[in-house]
Amino acid sequence: MDITSLFTQFLSGLTYGTILFLVAAGLSLIFGVMNILNFAHAALWLMGAYFSYTFWNLMQSYSFAFWLSIPLAGFAAAAVGWVLEMVLIKRIYKRELYEQLLITYSVALILSDTIKLTWGVTNKLIVRPEMIRKPVFIFGAPLDSYFIFVILAGAAVAIGLWWFLKYTRYGHIVKAAVFSREMVSALGIPIPRIYTWVFTLGIFLAGFAGGIQAPIGSITLGMDTAIIIQAFCVVVIGGFGSLLGTLVGSLIVGEVMSFTILFWPEGAMVLIFVITAAILIVRPWGLFGTPMRT
Amino acid sequence: MDFRKTTAFFVTVITCLFFFGMTGVKAAEPYNLGVALGLTGAGALYSADGVEGIKLAVEEINAKGGFLGQHKIELFIRDSQTKPDVGVREVKDLILRDKIRAVINDYSSAVAVAVKPIAQEYKVLHIAAISNSENITKINPSPYTFQVVPNTYMQGKASAVAVAKIANQKGWKEYITIASDYEWGRSTQDEVVKVLKALAPNLTLKKEFWPRLGEAQFTSYITGIMAMKPDFVFGILASNDNVAWMEQAKTYGFFDKIPYPGSLITVTELQLQAKTLPRNMIALTRAPFFAHMDIPMMADFVKNYRAKYNKYPSDWAVLCYDAVYTLKQGVEKAKSIDTEKVKDEMKGMTVNLTRGKLTFRAIDNQLSCSSYVGTITDDPRYPFPIYKDIVEVKGSESERPESEILEARKAAK
Amino acid sequence: MKNKTLFAVILILLAVVLPFIVPVFWVHVLTEILIMGLFAASFNMIFGYMGQLTFGHAAYYGVGAYTTGLLMVKANVPLLVCLPLSMLSAGLCAALLGYFCVKLRGIYFAILTMAFGQLVYYIIFQWYSFTGGDNGLQGIVPPEFLGKAANPYYFFTLTVVTIGMIALWIISESPFGYTMRAIRDNAERTEFIGINVQRYMLLNFIIAAMFAGLAGALWGPFNRSVAPDLTNWQHSGMPVFMTVMGGPFSFLGPLVGSAIYTFLMALVTSFTEYWPLVSGVIIILVVLLMPGGFLGLLDEKFPFLMRKGNGTGKTDGQGRQER
Repeated sequence: MDITSLFTQFLSGLTYGTILFLVAAGLSLIFGVMNILNFAHAALWLMGAYFSYTFWNLMQSYSFAFWLSIPLAGFAAAAVGWVLEMVLIKRIYKRELYEQLLITYSVALILSDTIKLTWGVTNKLIVRPEMIRKPVFIFGAPLDSYFIFVILAGAAVAIGLWWFLKYTRYGHIVKAAVFSREMVSALGIPIPRIYTWVFTLGIFLAGFAGGIQAPIGSITLGMDTAIIIQAFCVVVIGGFGSLLGTLVGSLIVGEVMSFTILFWPEGAMVLIFVITAAILIVRPWGLFGTPMRT
Repeated sequence: MDFRKTTAFFVTVITCLFFFGMTGVKAAEPYNLGVALGLTGAGALYSADGVEGIKLAVEEINAKGGFLGQHKIELFIRDSQTKPDVGVREVKDLILRDKIRAVINDYSSAVAVAVKPIAQEYKVLHIAAISNSENITKINPSPYTFQVVPNTYMQGKASAVAVAKIANQKGWKEYITIASDYEWGRSTQDEVVKVLKALAPNLTLKKEFWPRLGEAQFTSYITGIMAMKPDFVFGILASNDNVAWMEQAKTYGFFDKIPYPGSLITVTELQLQAKTLPRNMIALTRAPFFAHMDIPMMADFVKNYRAKYNKYPSDWAVLCYDAVYTLKQGVEKAKSIDTEKVKDEMKGMTVNLTRGKLTFRAIDNQLSCSSYVGTITDDPRYPFPIYKDIVEVKGSESERPESEILEARKAAK
Repeated sequence: MKNKTLFAVILILLAVVLPFIVPVFWVHVLTEILIMGLFAASFNMIFGYMGQLTFGHAAYYGVGAYTTGLLMVKANVPLLVCLPLSMLSAGLCAALLGYFCVKLRGIYFAILTMAFGQLVYYIIFQWYSFTGGDNGLQGIVPPEFLGKAANPYYFFTLTVVTIGMIALWIISESPFGYTMRAIRDNAERTEFIGINVQRYMLLNFIIAAMFAGLAGALWGPFNRSVAPDLTNWQHSGMPVFMTVMGGPFSFLGPLVGSAIYTFLMALVTSFTEYWPLVSGVIIILVVLLMPGGFLGLLDEKFPFLMRKGNGTGKTDGQGRQER
C-alpha cells in the first residue's frame, strides 16, 4: 500500500473517530460526574439525527437549513434529556448499579420505539447543499468534503469542553465533582442542580452528534444499538470523566477499525473488544481516567 | 424457600392463561395470511414497499369476497427485524397463535432459509417474494416453500453475462467485489464470480470486500477500493445498505472514477436517489414495473397503486402483489383453502401475474421469472430515471440446470 | 415444614397438568419460561448470591446453545450427550473469561463481562465457516424419542430444568453458597477470615455459566435454530430484567420473573409491535416501585405468605442486605 492510501485510511479513521468522540463525550461526562452509565445515550443521539432531519425538512427553502438543523437537533435532544433527568434520572442517583443500568436501558428501549412511532420505519435522507457534494483531495487522498466540517466540529467541541472545564467556574465545579462529590456538596454547591445541567449538556452533545451524523448516508432505526457499544469501548479505553481520554479513545477505536478492515475485516470489532477488555483488566479506569471512588 | 409465594403467583397465572387460552380459537372461515418481513433493520426500505403491495392485493381480493369469493383474507403483519431468530419466532407465533395458513417471508434470505423448515414442520405455505437466495429452493427443498422472485443464481448469471460482455469489449483486467456479508450477498457473489471466470477468462478478482449486513459507514471500503484502482467494481448490496453505500460513494466521486456495472439498482434506488444516481450505468433489477406496462394486469396494478399510495411501485411492491395473486390462483386451482391441496396444485403451476404468464419449476418451486438488465436513463414520463435498452433475461435462460440441482441435493445430504 | 412440601407438590402438579389444558401456543410459552427461568436462576447465582452484576451472562448461554446445535447438526450427537457437553463448554469459556472478570468489582466487573460477552458474540458472528455467522444454525430438531410435538419437549425441558434448579438450590444452600453470601455482604472481611475470595468467585462464576449453558442447550432444539444474537448484550439483559422483576433476593425470584416477562411478551406482541416500549415502561415501574420484585411485593401485601427469617430484600447503598 502506498502512502496516499495509508493516509486515506488514516483520514477515514479520523472521521469515524470524530463521530465516536462526539457521541462518547457526553457519555463520559455523565458517567464521570454522576456515576451513571447512560445506556440511553445512543438512542438520544439517534433522536438528534431524526430531529435534524425534521428541522432540515421544515426549513428546506432556506439555504442555511442544513447547517442550522445540527445545533437545533442538539437543543431539541437536550430538551428531551432535561425532562428525562427531572422526571426519572433524579430518582436513581443513589440507587444500586443494577437499578441504574436497568432504568437507562429501559429508557433506551422506550426512546427507540418512540422514534419509530414518531418518524416511521423508512430511511430519512438529507440532501446536502451543493458545495459539499464533491470530495476534496488532501495530498492526493480523497476525503468527503463534509468530513472536514465534521472534524472541525469535533475539534470545536473538544476545545470548547476543555475551555469550559479549565477556565469557567462551572467547569471547575464539574471537574471537582468528578473527583469528589462529597467535597463539592460540602462546599454548599447543590449537587442535584449540577447533575441536571451536566446531564442536559451531555445529551445536548449527543443530539448535536446525531445532527452531525445525519447527512452521512441515511438515518435508519437501529443505528443506536450499533454505536452504543462502540461508545462504551471509547469511554472505557480513554477513561470515564476524562475529556482527553475520550478524545484519545475515540481516535484509537476509529483508526483501529479503519486499518483492521484492510487486512482482517472480520476481526475489526473483535480487536476492539480485546483492547477494551485488556484495558479493563490492566487499568480499569482507562488511559486517562481517575481511579473510581466507590 | 418461598414456595408459598411462588405458588400463589402461579395460581394467578394459570387463571389468566385459562382466560387467554380460550381466545386462541379462531373461526375457520377467513383465510389467515401472515406477513413476516424485515420492517426494521437493513431490510426496512424494501419490506415497507412489499407490505404496501400485499395490502393492495388483499383489498382487491377481499372486495370480491376473498379467496373463492367466500374466504376473506385476514392479514397478520409482523416484523422479523431482518434477523433469522426473530423471524423464526414471529412466524412460529403467527402459526400457533394467529393460525395462519400461509406466510410471505422474508426480505432477508437468511431469515427465509431459517423459516423454511418451520413452515414445513407446521405445514404452512411459505412464499418468498423479496429474499431470493438460491439456497431457499436448491437444497433441502420444502414442498411448502415457493419463490416468486428470480433467485441469486438467475440474477447473478443475468448480470454477470452482461458484465462479462462489457469486460471483454473494453479489455478489463482486474475487478473488485463488495458484497453484504450474509446469505444473499455470499450466494450472489459466488455465482457472479463463477460466471465471470467462465465468460471473461482474462479477468482477475483482485479483492473481495464483505461489509456486514446493516453497515452504515462505508468510508473505509470506499477509500480502500479507490486506492486499488480496479478496472471495475461489482456491488452486491441491497436496501438500506445499498442506499447508504451509493450515497457515500458518490461524495467521493467514486462513480466518476470507477465503472460500476451490473449491480443491483432497483426501482427503489431509482426513485430514492433520482437526483444523485449516475446515469448511463448498467444495472440489474428484479421486477421493474416499466418493463411490463404492456401487460394489462401490470398497468392496472400501477394505476391502483398510484391512486392508493401516490407513488410508483418498486420491485418489492410488484413481487409481493404477485405473491398474493399466486396464492389466489393456487387456491382457485385447488378449489379449496386447504393447505395440502393448495400446495399440491401450486407445484408446476402456471400463473398470470403482472410480469406475464409464468410457470413454477416443479423441481424446486422456483418461478421461471425474468431478470432485468438495462442502462439507467432519464425518462420524461417519470419523475425518476428508469432502465433503457432493457435486456429481459428470461427464467429459462438463466435458471440452473436441473441436473446440477439434483447433484447439489445429493451432496447436501 | 409440611406447608413447604404441599406448595412444592402444587407447583409440580400445575406444571404437569397445564400442557393438557392450554392451547399449543401457550405450551411453547411455558417451555420458554422454563428455559429462561433456568438461565435467570443461573444469573442470580452471581447477582443475588454473590452480589455482582454480570451483563455478559448470555455469552455462556449462547456457547451452550451453539455447542448443542453444532454437535447435533454436524455430528448427529444425541441431545442427552449434548447437554452435559454444553455445560462443559460454557464452563470452560467461563473459566477463561471469568479469571479476568473476578479481579474486578462493581461497575468494572459489569463492563468487563459485557465486553467479553460482545467478544464472544463477534467471534460467533464472524466465524461464518464454522458457526454459520449471522445465518445462524438451522435444522436443530428434538431427538426421535421426543418428536417434534410441543408436549413431549415441554416435559423433557421441565425435567431437566427441575433437576437444574434443585442442583442450584443445593449449591446455594451449601457452605459454598453461604461463602458466596459472605462475599456479597462484605468481601473484605471474608478475605480476612482466610477465604481466597477470587478463587471462590471464579468457581461460582463457572458454575453459573454451566447452568446458563444448560439452558442454552435446551433452547436450540426447541427453537429449531440458534443465532449469534443469543449472546449479545441485549440478551444478557434478559436475566437481569427477569430476576429484578421476580425478586432478586429469593431463589425462585428469577423463575417467577421469567414467567411474568415471557407471558407478558407473548400476550403483548399479539396486539402491538411496540413490545420494547411496553417492556421498558414495565421495568422502570418495577425498579422504582417494586424493589423486591414481584415476590417482594407479595411479601408486603400478603404477610401470611412470608416465612420468618427471610431478608426484606432491601440493601443499603453498599450492596449489603438489610435483615
